[in-house]
Amino acid sequence: MRLISIVFALVLAISIFTIPQNDAIAFTEQQITRGAYGDDVIELQARLQYLGFYKSKIDGKFGYNTYWALRNFQEKYGLPVDGIAGAKTKKTLSGYSDYDEGWVKAQLNAGNQFTYYGGIPLEQQVKNTTGSSGGGGGKSSGSSNNNGTKTQVPPKYTERDLQLMANAVYGEARGEPYEGQVAVAAVILNRLESPEFPNTISGIIFQPLAFTAVADGQIWLEPNQRAKEAVIDAMNGWDPSENALYYFNPKTATSKWIWSRPQIKQIGEHIFCS
Amino acid sequence: MRTMLAILTAAVIGLGAYSIHLHGEKASLQRTVLAQYTDKLTDASEKLSHLQRAVSQSLLFQNDQAIHNELDSVWRLSSDVRSSISNIPIGHELSNQWLSYLGRLGDEAKKTAKTGDYQAWREKMPQISTNLQSLSDEWSAATVDFYKNNGKMDVWLRQVDQKNPNTTFDNVQKTLKDYSEKDFPLTLSESDWQKKIELKALQDSVITEKEALEKVKNMFPIIKDATFTVTRSSDTAPYPFYHIQFHQGIRLGYVDLTEKGGHLLSYLVERPVDEARLSQEEIMNKAEEHLKRLGINDVAFVESRENHQAWHVTFARVHPGDKAIIYADGIQLKLAKDTGELLGANAMEYIQEETIKQQTAKPIDWKTFFDKDVKVEEVKNIYTDNGQFEQRLCYEVIAVRDGQSPETFRIVIDAENHNVLKVEYLT
Repeated sequence: MRLISIVFALVLAISIFTIPQNDAIAFTEQQITRGAYGDDVIELQARLQYLGFYKSKIDGKFGYNTYWALRNFQEKYGLPVDGIAGAKTKKTLSGYSDYDEGWVKAQLNAGNQFTYYGGIPLEQQVKNTTGSSGGGGGKSSGSSNNNGTKTQVPPKYTERDLQLMANAVYGEARGEPYEGQVAVAAVILNRLESPEFPNTISGIIFQPLAFTAVADGQIWLEPNQRAKEAVIDAMNGWDPSENALYYFNPKTATSKWIWSRPQIKQIGEHIFCS
Repeated sequence: MRTMLAILTAAVIGLGAYSIHLHGEKASLQRTVLAQYTDKLTDASEKLSHLQRAVSQSLLFQNDQAIHNELDSVWRLSSDVRSSISNIPIGHELSNQWLSYLGRLGDEAKKTAKTGDYQAWREKMPQISTNLQSLSDEWSAATVDFYKNNGKMDVWLRQVDQKNPNTTFDNVQKTLKDYSEKDFPLTLSESDWQKKIELKALQDSVITEKEALEKVKNMFPIIKDATFTVTRSSDTAPYPFYHIQFHQGIRLGYVDLTEKGGHLLSYLVERPVDEARLSQEEIMNKAEEHLKRLGINDVAFVESRENHQAWHVTFARVHPGDKAIIYADGIQLKLAKDTGELLGANAMEYIQEETIKQQTAKPIDWKTFFDKDVKVEEVKNIYTDNGQFEQRLCYEVIAVRDGQSPETFRIVIDAENHNVLKVEYLT
């Protein structure tokens, strides 16, 4: 029994000393897993890619691709295979990999397509897409170029949907309380579920005569963070309109038809109806 | 004096020229828009005829493959006409009726192709084919004005906005309404679903405004000292509820509670959020604490997403018998990243509580069900909608397809008949 304890202690000591003590550990102490977002995830993805486990885009979103890569790493390095980046996993990963935070962040901020494999010069791993302004290949970069905003939408929506809806909400309801902005976003999503409306978010927003912000061009104003938050809440299920399909401002509405709709509630200047 | 006159003349000429230029630009833009609308209108009218023929042709065959091709055409054409009509500036109600009718026709074709119930299709479609022909004729008569506007969009829009009865559009609208009710009556499942979302199942007694406020203060003690404004939903709302807006210091928000029983519909607070201080694990623990305080203890964790200032966490009810997760009975929480404070709760689906029919799960051999490159990582039993408003017991499979870069999929398979209900690509 004593012999076993000595052998175990030796193995543990060797394993601790053999973990390469690489450059500064930038990871925070927080434990992260699926659903997380941000700098810790960017570092995790970069380090996993450095070792060849992670082959997808470094975007700061802890989704399934990151999850499987992490599990594979944990399995190979004798760690508990749980897909959670806790202290021990982070320490081991930091020990075996390198992370050039400045370089990785610079590529993300520039909207470049890039990889971060170990053993390949960094300059050979960048495909410059500057000028695409976030569109095309570089569009889903995790830390977006707009004020470093961090957003994750439910799988059935895209970042394009978020952008378009934020434009519509800002154009239609920027002077309304937050609740009213979420309600406007929810109306768009309620229409998406209804058989009486087009079946895409773009189709709904640009349906002729549907939204005044489209008619008067206010939809093209740059939305603020509040409008985006409102859309994200609606995408996650909140519906202060209580299933409304229409809304109107009674002071400015010109259509007589809209008054014939069954009303549900009023939020700010808007009456919501089914 | 002469100089002044010269300047004035020049200014008038300049303004006149500018005005002519502006007018020209506006007219040109109008013509461009009208051309696009005309294109969509013509497209819709033509495809409507094709659709009617496709429905008629589908009745020609007994051969499965032949009828399948026609069903495909019906589905594709109904979707095309839908798309064209949704891009034409016509009245809301008419547009809604059209989209609904065409969508139902397309869904019927898709359903028939999937289930192979051609007999039901053959019984139903002769009448629909005749109705489509008459709709197509009425539509042509109503839209003939569109081609007479001499490129003037405003004339058309004025006509659309007119509420004079007996216009040709009203005729189409009325016919569409009649045909929709006759051709595609609500199924039992649809009608149950409608009742469910209108909260018809709630049988609790009505609570007063004062009781509603007390409930809110108990559920969300952080706002117990807030200033509240309570309004009742409009009389025409599908279900009555209290809309309670509040303001307390930096917090501004609302709570909606049903009038029957005071059940939580949703709660949302807006307040500034500081730097994230809590870990993901701490946030999840907080989420469970919030659920307990709301008296919700029959749910399981589904997913979480970190965002700019908050975490969105979803839970769903667990079936008391087979322990499968009922996705339709979901509840969403929003927690501040700085303190874990509950910034939102959405129990709209949770309080609707699905009635689940008894179903049996037949095992599947994943090795033969999936391709050899596919590895099944997780299998969970869940209940979800099969697209026909029925809750089905399903296997939710997370599978990875090996390749140069592995791809992850979520596949939902009916546990009884093994139909694949959903495939989602996960990143």
